[in-house]
Amino acid sequence: MNNEDRELIAELKKEGQKDLAFQSLVKKYQERLYWHIRKMVLNHDDTDDILQNTFIKVWKNVGNFREESGLYTWLYRIATNEAITFLNSKKRRNLMSLNDENDYLKDNLISDPYFEGDKIQLKLQEAILRLPDKQRIVFNMKYFDEIKYEDMSKILETSVGALKASYHHAAKKIEEFLKNSDL
Amino acid sequence: MEDMNELEKIAPKLSKMKKEHPFDVPNHYFDDFSARLHTKLEAEKRVLPKQKNRIIRLLKPAIGLAASFLLVVMLVYWPINSFLPNILSKNTTAETTTIEDEDPYRAIIERIDAITFFAILEEPAQEPSFDDEELMNYISSNMSEYEIFLETDQ
Repeated sequence: MNNEDRELIAELKKEGQKDLAFQSLVKKYQERLYWHIRKMVLNHDDTDDILQNTFIKVWKNVGNFREESGLYTWLYRIATNEAITFLNSKKRRNLMSLNDENDYLKDNLISDPYFEGDKIQLKLQEAILRLPDKQRIVFNMKYFDEIKYEDMSKILETSVGALKASYHHAAKKIEEFLKNSDL
Repeated sequence: MEDMNELEKIAPKLSKMKKEHPFDVPNHYFDDFSARLHTKLEAEKRVLPKQKNRIIRLLKPAIGLAASFLLVVMLVYWPINSFLPNILSKNTTAETTTIEDEDPYRAIIERIDAITFFAILEEPAQEPSFDDEELMNYISSNMSEYEIFLETDQ
């Protein structure tokens, strides 16, 4: 963990400085966490809700953060879990199968006023959202954010080998989907 | 770079695509986010009771029950005890019973030690010894002629 984050954590654990330090933390990490969540749930409004819940969880639990991992790793893990919980609750509430979930996410993406992609990008997103949750997370983190497998391993608490395999399968599936689409 | 080469091998079409996010956010979203989060957090803080309050809230029913019990004792027992001490002392004496009153045999057994107790148990039962004259005297003094007739008839 870098010194700046270490100081931030120390201030967050002091009752008198907590609010101010928390504001700094939000300013520093809000964008990165937003895009990480957005790639998982696609829709802006859902992302906004999840991001707020993520930071509220951080605020509540920062006293228990044992600094075994980096601050960003910890934040990423909370955001990932919040997004997965959101998707699962949505599935349960609407009794969705995998296909229904894909359709839901696709409709969500198309109807989102803040989606500005062209036809090719829409196809790529469609291919990505057809992946199982775990593969989708791994693919997004590797392909778009270029996060190292070692860092990803700490965030997702999965072995590097398993992550490499997930990315490999995801890339092949997307390629197959793109080949079958007239692009 | 190594990852890119690998991607070209397994997914050539994908590797040629632009790595751009097709997503956008509302204007000033990140500028306003902190303020909106602050409002939500303040609401959460109001909902969340403090740890100390939570303990008091959990103990509230038990404390209430204990206080009620104490109040009843104060209102009933204490005035009676203060103003009418004789009634309470009479009742207490009347209700006190000793073990000897309840069961005299139990009281005797409890008083003897273990060795004596087992010695009594191991003693051979003594055969009653009496002669015919004593028997006749006992029967004639305790039974009527009719009872003697009935017994001998059976």
